[in-house]
Amino acid sequence: MPDTVLSIRDLRVYFNIRAGTVRAVDGVDLDIAEGEKLGLVGESGSGKTTTALAIMRMIKPPGEIAGGTIQLDGRDLVGLSEPEMRAVRGNDVAMVPQAAMNALNPVRRIRSQMLDGLRDHGVNESRERMEERLTTLVAQVGLSSNVLNLFPHELSGGMKQRVTIAMAICHKPRLILADEPTSALDVVVQRQVMETLEEVRSEIGAAVILVGHDMGLMAQFADRIGVMYAGKLVELATVEQIFSNPRHPYTRLLISSLPDTAGKRRLEGIPGLPPSLLEIPPGCPFMPRCPEAMDVCGVDVPELLGETDMVSCHLHTEAATV
Amino acid sequence: MTATAETITTTSTTNGASSSLLELSNVTQIFSSGPFWNREHNYAVNDVSFTLSDKPALITAVAGESGSGKTTLGRIMLGFQSPTLGQVLYRGDDVAEMNAAGRKQYRRQVQAIFQDPFSVYNPFYKVDHIFTVAIARYKLASSRDEARHLIEEAISGVGLRPSETLGRYPHQLSGGQRQRVMVARSLLLKPEVIIADEPVSMVDASLRATILETLRTLNHELGIAILYITHDLTTAYQVADNIMIMYRGHVVEAGDVEHVINDPKHPYTRLLVQSIPMPDPNRRWADMRGANDPPFTGIDVTPTMCPFVNRCPDAVGNCAEEVPSTYAIDEHRISKCFLYEDAGTVSSANIASYFNIRESSSNSNGAKL
Repeated sequence: MPDTVLSIRDLRVYFNIRAGTVRAVDGVDLDIAEGEKLGLVGESGSGKTTTALAIMRMIKPPGEIAGGTIQLDGRDLVGLSEPEMRAVRGNDVAMVPQAAMNALNPVRRIRSQMLDGLRDHGVNESRERMEERLTTLVAQVGLSSNVLNLFPHELSGGMKQRVTIAMAICHKPRLILADEPTSALDVVVQRQVMETLEEVRSEIGAAVILVGHDMGLMAQFADRIGVMYAGKLVELATVEQIFSNPRHPYTRLLISSLPDTAGKRRLEGIPGLPPSLLEIPPGCPFMPRCPEAMDVCGVDVPELLGETDMVSCHLHTEAATV
Repeated sequence: MTATAETITTTSTTNGASSSLLELSNVTQIFSSGPFWNREHNYAVNDVSFTLSDKPALITAVAGESGSGKTTLGRIMLGFQSPTLGQVLYRGDDVAEMNAAGRKQYRRQVQAIFQDPFSVYNPFYKVDHIFTVAIARYKLASSRDEARHLIEEAISGVGLRPSETLGRYPHQLSGGQRQRVMVARSLLLKPEVIIADEPVSMVDASLRATILETLRTLNHELGIAILYITHDLTTAYQVADNIMIMYRGHVVEAGDVEHVINDPKHPYTRLLVQSIPMPDPNRRWADMRGANDPPFTGIDVTPTMCPFVNRCPDAVGNCAEEVPSTYAIDEHRISKCFLYEDAGTVSSANIASYFNIRESSSNSNGAKL
């Protein structure tokens, strides 16, 4: 069994606003093995992006990490000081942002932006050596060294996203967080960018957390999938298990609502809305929308149980504990 | 209101001669940019002719990447944009030459649903505003009670509860609810045509299905013709009867959605279909890779070439010399590609004449409004 890179225990991220406390992430446990590709899916407001930001320690006030531990190679990130954390970001954990256009500085050439990223982390060599590094990096993501001379607006969306991938891998991080990296791209470019991400990932042997709501993309990319709902992980299993035998009713509905091209059928949405995170009802948070809800669901919060394929649902409580 | 009632009854009888609601006739839209000595002309829509008809009313998808011209096509049909060349005809009348009364009627009968369900609302007004304005403008109700009744009926029609929706401000509703309120507004006006430009791309997956199902119901039960503009081929496949694939202003392939998606003919359509992220871990991209990665030859594409020539794995000599004609591969499929030259050019420039007509306009699995 490969080593665990990241180990999250009972992570809680709360936003204290005037109306009360928003429990955006409420008790998440997650282990990621070396080189593993984990997909984190859920509706907007389910806490998937907040979980990723918490790993980077980039939660801004009024939000705060209210509890739990995030261990990267055995070192708890939650307890680190800001200067210590700065050294971790980019070096050990890197992020590929959602909107590449907003992540790049519009008035500076790609070269100088990438040099910043290298120098900030203490890489300062001769001019020729730095240039060589940059050329290798952009070549790794399938771009010609010509893009170094260009401004972000001269690049297409796919090229910009490749530049952010090149920046993310420049210190060979142990873990890459990719937050909907292709949601602004067309299908063809999306496939090419995801293939590039996979190529560089396997080259440097990093683990990836891919955050998104596109189950199709997850099926293409991930080894394991974590399904989030109202700040909690409700199912965590291998991608094959999730698609062939989803166990949580929410996962099941999520998958049956996906359109495909194998015959027309009636599309079923999931009725209702996720609960307000200000006042999460007692019991299972999915209960009001669940077609299989039982009495116990309104009383007890189900725990995430199981060995490799985990689910938090009272339908599986007994089966999992036996 | 009576006109709409007639529309409903006539569509349920089907198989009448197809009649044209909204027609594009050789429409070209050129956007020019750059200084006058070095003007660049970008063909956003290149000589497109097709018809949305009401007997029977169908759902037609327009798909393509960003910059393919699909949104411009929709804007032209909505009358937001006058095409550089060609005509837009509403019930046979040129939209550009309509008088005020005709234009008002056209505006009512051709409704839009946009991508971003937040920016279409004025945040200072309650959501009721978008309904009351429409009712006042088209004098749909004679009393406050009647207006209220119409609004509630429309909101229930899209699966929302009026008591939980009306009286609220846009920011108090979720993205999915806001988008459904826009659909409800269209429903209130009972238009003949809805142009829906990426209506679900900003909505969560769990709500997408509900909104698309509502659109399908509007089409099947009320006989509203729908143009569904999207970049997502899987939703297009589920919702639409026919599809047009656009690439750089050209309609490169069109026909029955079942055939176009499951047996694509144009090399660009093939590339698109192979790139769909299928929600099935057993059908991964990597397994299908091979011939589908575009070579991106360094050809500088000019308006006198096939627009796809620099990315096409099947490009031959004449692709770089002239724009291919549109060829009729079979009775329900056309493609703008020299590979199908042997099939012969189309007999009618109107793309809709190759569309497959759905047999029954009322679908058995459609939900009741």
